[in-house]
Amino acid sequence: MNDLLEIRDLHAGIEGKEILHGINLSIKPGEVHAVMGPNGAGKSTLSAVLAGRPDYTVTSGSVTFGGRDLLAMKPEERSWAGIFLSFQYPIEIPGVSITNFMKAAVNARRKAKGELEIAPAQFLKLMKDKMAFVKMKGEFAKREVNVGFSGGEKKRGEIFQMAMLDPVLSILDETDSGLDVDALKVVADGVNALRSPEKSAIIITHYKHLLDLIAPDVVHVLKDGKIVATGGMELADMIETQGFDSIHG
Amino acid sequence: MAEEKDILSAAVEKQYSEGFVTDIEQEFVPKGLNEDIIRMISAKKGEPGWLLDFRLDAFRKWQRMTPPKWGHLSRLPEINFQDIIYYAAPMRDENRPKEIDPALQETFDKLGIPISEREVLAGVKSKVAVDAVFDSVSVNTTFRKTLAEKGIIFCSFSEAVREHPDLVQKYLATVVPAGDNFYAALNSAVFSDGSFCYIPKGVRCPMDLSSYFRINASGTGQFERTLIIADEGSSVSYMEGCTAPMRDENQLHAAVVEIIVEKDADVRYSTVQNWYPGDSRGRGGILNLVTKRGLCRGEGSHLSWTQVETGSAITWKYPSTILMGDNSCSEFYSVALTGNYQQADTGTKMIHIGRNTRSRIVSKGISAGYSENSYRGMVRMNPGAYGARNHSQCDSLLIGSRCGAHTFPVIRNSNPTAIVEHEATTSRISDEQLFYCTQRGISPEDAVGLIVGGYAREVLSRLPMEFAVEAQKLLSVNLEGSIG
Amino acid sequence: MDRFYRVGIDEVPKRLTLNEQEHLRLTFVVMPGVSAEIPFEINIGKEGVYLEIFGLYLCPHSERVKFDFTVRHLVGGSHSTQQFRGIVGGTARAEFDGLVYVAPDAQKTEAYQENHSILLSEGAVAETRPQLEIYADDVKCSHGATSGYLNPDELFYLRSRGISEVEARRLQMLSFISPVITHLPEDMKEQIIARI
Repeated sequence: MNDLLEIRDLHAGIEGKEILHGINLSIKPGEVHAVMGPNGAGKSTLSAVLAGRPDYTVTSGSVTFGGRDLLAMKPEERSWAGIFLSFQYPIEIPGVSITNFMKAAVNARRKAKGELEIAPAQFLKLMKDKMAFVKMKGEFAKREVNVGFSGGEKKRGEIFQMAMLDPVLSILDETDSGLDVDALKVVADGVNALRSPEKSAIIITHYKHLLDLIAPDVVHVLKDGKIVATGGMELADMIETQGFDSIHG
Repeated sequence: MAEEKDILSAAVEKQYSEGFVTDIEQEFVPKGLNEDIIRMISAKKGEPGWLLDFRLDAFRKWQRMTPPKWGHLSRLPEINFQDIIYYAAPMRDENRPKEIDPALQETFDKLGIPISEREVLAGVKSKVAVDAVFDSVSVNTTFRKTLAEKGIIFCSFSEAVREHPDLVQKYLATVVPAGDNFYAALNSAVFSDGSFCYIPKGVRCPMDLSSYFRINASGTGQFERTLIIADEGSSVSYMEGCTAPMRDENQLHAAVVEIIVEKDADVRYSTVQNWYPGDSRGRGGILNLVTKRGLCRGEGSHLSWTQVETGSAITWKYPSTILMGDNSCSEFYSVALTGNYQQADTGTKMIHIGRNTRSRIVSKGISAGYSENSYRGMVRMNPGAYGARNHSQCDSLLIGSRCGAHTFPVIRNSNPTAIVEHEATTSRISDEQLFYCTQRGISPEDAVGLIVGGYAREVLSRLPMEFAVEAQKLLSVNLEGSIG
Repeated sequence: MDRFYRVGIDEVPKRLTLNEQEHLRLTFVVMPGVSAEIPFEINIGKEGVYLEIFGLYLCPHSERVKFDFTVRHLVGGSHSTQQFRGIVGGTARAEFDGLVYVAPDAQKTEAYQENHSILLSEGAVAETRPQLEIYADDVKCSHGATSGYLNPDELFYLRSRGISEVEARRLQMLSFISPVITHLPEDMKEQIIARI
C-alpha cells in the first residue's frame, strides 16, 4: 500500500534557526503514529511545517501527501486535501461564532471541490451530531471561537472541528496538555471514533496517558530535531519509567 | 506574514455594483450658487415665503464663513462651490403625475429598494416604509396611508412643507441652526429633499421607516434635509441607506439630520453608508460631509445612533446627542471601514446637560490600504449633569502597514458627581488568527472578512436584521483586495 | 534613570530626544497653588527604549494646569507608558492633552497612556484629550481616561472601621495617587502626602 504521508530528510526551522535536522517518517492509511519528545525537541515545529505555518521555513527535504508535494501547497489547500491540525494553543476569534466559523470552513472545502454550499438544515444536523459527539451542549454553537474557553473546552472544541471537517490526516499537537481525566477521555473517544482504514493520525505528546487510550500503531521519539527511535508502545513505557534520556539514537 | 500582505496591487478594483448611471431625462438649475439659484430652487419646489427667507438667511451666513480644515483629512480637496449644480430632478410626466417613471423603478429594483408597496405586500420584501430620493427629489414614499391611520406622518421634506408647514416651521433648525457650521449653512441654503417624520404622542410606529438616497446626475451635489420628531412616549426605528454612480470626479453630499425626542420617547437611527468610495487610485468618490444631531429634550428620552460607514472618499460626520432631559440616554455604535485612499474623520459628541443622563460610545474603526481613519469625539459633562455617566470604547484595527488609525477624544467633566470612562486600543489581525482560519480551509480573504465581521459584531448586531446582513456583506466586499 | 520635576520650582525641559537604548523614568508633580502650562515633547529614535512618564496634579483652589505632552515613536521596538493622575477641587481647572504618535514602519511599538482625574467640588473642571496617531500595524497601543469621584462605598467602609470622614477621604486620595508616587524618593513623597 502506498504511503499517505512521506516525509524525507526534512530540515526546517524558524527565524534563521534550524530545528528539524533531517526527519524521515512515513505513515500508511489507517495508521496512528505517536511522536513523543522532550521540550524543544521540535514537535511543534513538525506539526507547524506539516500544516504550512507561514513563519516556518523548510530548508531542504520533501513531504508528499497522497502523492502530492505538500510543501508547495498553501495552508488552506492542505486543509482541503484533508489535513487537520488540532492546535496546542487554539487562538480566540472574538465576535465570530462557532457556527459561522464552521460554516465558512465547510463551504470553503465544498467550493474547492466544485460543490454547492451546504444546505442550512443539513448543516444544522451536522453541527448537532458533532457537538453531541464531544459532549458539548447546544449553546456551544453560539459561543465565540475559543473566547473564554477553559483548557478542556478548547481541546474538545478542536476535536469537534476535526469531526466536522472529517480529515484524512489529523495532527494532534499536544492535545493532552492541561487536561483532566474526563476531558482526556472525551478527546480519546473522539479520536478513536474517527479511525478508519483510510484515515491516519499523528499524535504529538509528552505523556503516555493519552496513548494508553488511543493505542497507536507506531511510536517515534523525537529528540533535538531528529527521530532517535521508532517502535511500539514499549518505547512509551520506557519513557514513562525512565525519562527521555533513556532513549538513545 | 505582515510583509507578504502587500496591501494593494494597483490592478485590484473594489467591486461597487451600485456604480451604474440611470439614463433618464432630468431637469437642472444652472451651475453655480447665488441668491437667484436659491430663489429658483425654492420656486421649483413651490415653497412658502418663510422657507425662502430661511434659505437666503442661511446663504448669507454661509458667505461669511470659510470651509473648515481641522479634520485629519489630508485628501479633502478644495471644493469649488460655483462648479456644482444644486438641483437635479427626473422629469415628471405631466399626464401621469402619480406614476413612478419605469426607469426609476428599474433603478431602485436593481438596488434592491422596494419603492412600491406591492413588492412588500406580496411578501417579497419585509415590511419597511421607504422614502426614495433620487438626486434632488423624493420619488415616492410608501405606506403613507397606512401610517397616517395612526397619525404618523412620513413623507418627503418637500411634501411636509406643503402639508404640515406648522410642524416644519416649529422644529426646523432648532437642533442644527443654520449658522452652526459651514456645511450646515450650505445645506440650509440649498437643501433639496429628504425625509420628514412625525410620530404622535404614545404611538409606536408599526413598521421600520427608511430613506434611501441615490445620486445620479454628474456635476451635482446632494443636500438632503431630514427632520424626525418623536412626540412624548412614542417610538420609531429609522434607517438610512445611500449609493451613487462611479465617477472620476468627486461629488458633494452635505446633509443635515435633526432629531427631536420628547419625554419618554425612543428613536433608533441606523445608517448603512455605501457612497461610491473612489477607485483604487483614490480618484473620484463622494465627499460625505454631514451634520447629524439629536436633542433628547424630554425626561427619559432615548436616542441611539448605529452607523456602518464603508463608502465615500471622505467621511466627515459626528452624529451627536444633546442630553437635555433628566434621565435621558443615548448610544453611538459605529463601524467605519476605510480602504484604498479613503479617509474618515468621524465620531460623536455627547453633551450631558440633564441629571442622571447616560451615554455609551462603541466605535470600531478598520483601516486598510492607504487610508486614514480617525475617531473624534467629545463627551461633555456640564455643571448641572449630576449623576451622569458615560462609557466609551474606541478600537482601531489596522490591516497592513500603509494605513493610519487615530483616536482623538475630548472629555470635559465639570460635575463632581459625574463619571466618564474612556478606553481606546489599536490592534491588527494577528497572524495566529489568520493561520488558524486557513488551516481550517478558509481562504485568507474570507478569513479577513470573518475576523473583521467578528470585530464589528457588537455594532452590526444592533442593526435591524436586513441591514445587518447587508452591512456584513458590504464589509466583506469592501475588504476584498486589502490583503495578498 | 529617574528624573523628577516639580513644576514651578524645577526647570522642566520642553523637548527630549532618546537615541540610546535606555530605561528612563520621568515624573512631573504639580503641587497645590501652582498654575502652569507644561508643554513637553519626547521623540524616541532608537529601539529598546523603555520610557515611563508619571504626572501628578493637585489643584484644590483655583489653579489652572495644562499638560501638553507628545510622545513620538519614530522607530519601532520601544515601549512607553504614561500615567497621569490628579485631584481637582475648588474652582480649579486641569487639562491633559497627550498625543502618542507611532510613525510608519515603527513596528513592535508598545505605547500606553492613562489619565485619571477626581473632581472634588462643583466648579472644578477636568478636561482630557488623549490622542493616538498610529501609522504602523504590528503595535500595541492603548489609552484610558476616567474622570469621577472617590468611591462612596469605600468611604463608608473606612468610616465603619472608626476612621473619621476627613481622614478616610485622605486615605482614598492617597490610594488614588499612589501609582504615580510610589517610586519617588521618600522626602518628595512625604512632601506630597502632607499636602493631601
